[in-house]
Amino acid sequence: MPQERQSEESHSLPPVMPDAVESRRSLDAWWSLLLALAAMLCNVVFLVNPPVQQAIPWLSLLLAVSALIFLARGIKRVFQRPRVGRGKILSSIVAAVSLFLVSLVLITFFHARALPTSAAAPRVGQRVLDFTLADTSGRRISFDQLFAPAADDPQATAPKAVLLIFYRGYW
Amino acid sequence: MRGVEKRLAEFKTAGVRPVAISVDPPEVSRDLCKKAGYSFTVLSDPKAEVIRRYDLLHVGAGPEGRDVARPAEFLVDSSRVVRWVNFTEDVRVRARADEMLAQAKELR
Repeated sequence: MPQERQSEESHSLPPVMPDAVESRRSLDAWWSLLLALAAMLCNVVFLVNPPVQQAIPWLSLLLAVSALIFLARGIKRVFQRPRVGRGKILSSIVAAVSLFLVSLVLITFFHARALPTSAAAPRVGQRVLDFTLADTSGRRISFDQLFAPAADDPQATAPKAVLLIFYRGYW
Repeated sequence: MRGVEKRLAEFKTAGVRPVAISVDPPEVSRDLCKKAGYSFTVLSDPKAEVIRRYDLLHVGAGPEGRDVARPAEFLVDSSRVVRWVNFTEDVRVRARADEMLAQAKELR
């Protein structure tokens, strides 16, 4: 260990500590990466449409923020002890990957929630406007025609209601 | 919509017909139905006329900045009265089939 480094540490940290501090610092980056990955994984959970899904965006945000906290702590330690040797490159890469993932999670979070307010959309008790639109075979179907009994089933009764599902599209 | 397809028989028993609407032209919706195995009605509103009238237009949110519908679900009876509605706050969070089925079963 160089003499210069030891003397520099002597007034801030006990001389026996540097290895422990360094391993903690690199662990910060790994913890950050782990949390960032967990935050990313939250997006996969939506695919199964689970019952508690309303909480998942917030969970991903919490994990991303925690990842940032570990990242900030790791960086702070590097600045406090600029002349660290082993593990510096690896933990820098880990930190960069973590930061990239956190950015993706945050962008996704705000992007997914940037929805129009739809203040004038029909509400419960209101009557919706009639419409006529083409189905997948190009046949035009009016709102009232949706209430016709299914043609392919002679025992079919007219539906009581339709469930209109507006979706973003297939791309 | 996968959940709706899975429980289509239950919707039918409850007397509710699921109908999906998007800006996709019929051929694209046909592709989707084929690939995803949807057998319920899928309607096309390529000019977003109905979507706009329902105030569901999400400007520039589609591919290449095209306008699309924001996700929303309406349960509408035969006199065209809305009985239940759901507007998600996050495009990743969609109404679950069992939620919608529970609402369907409550209809009289």
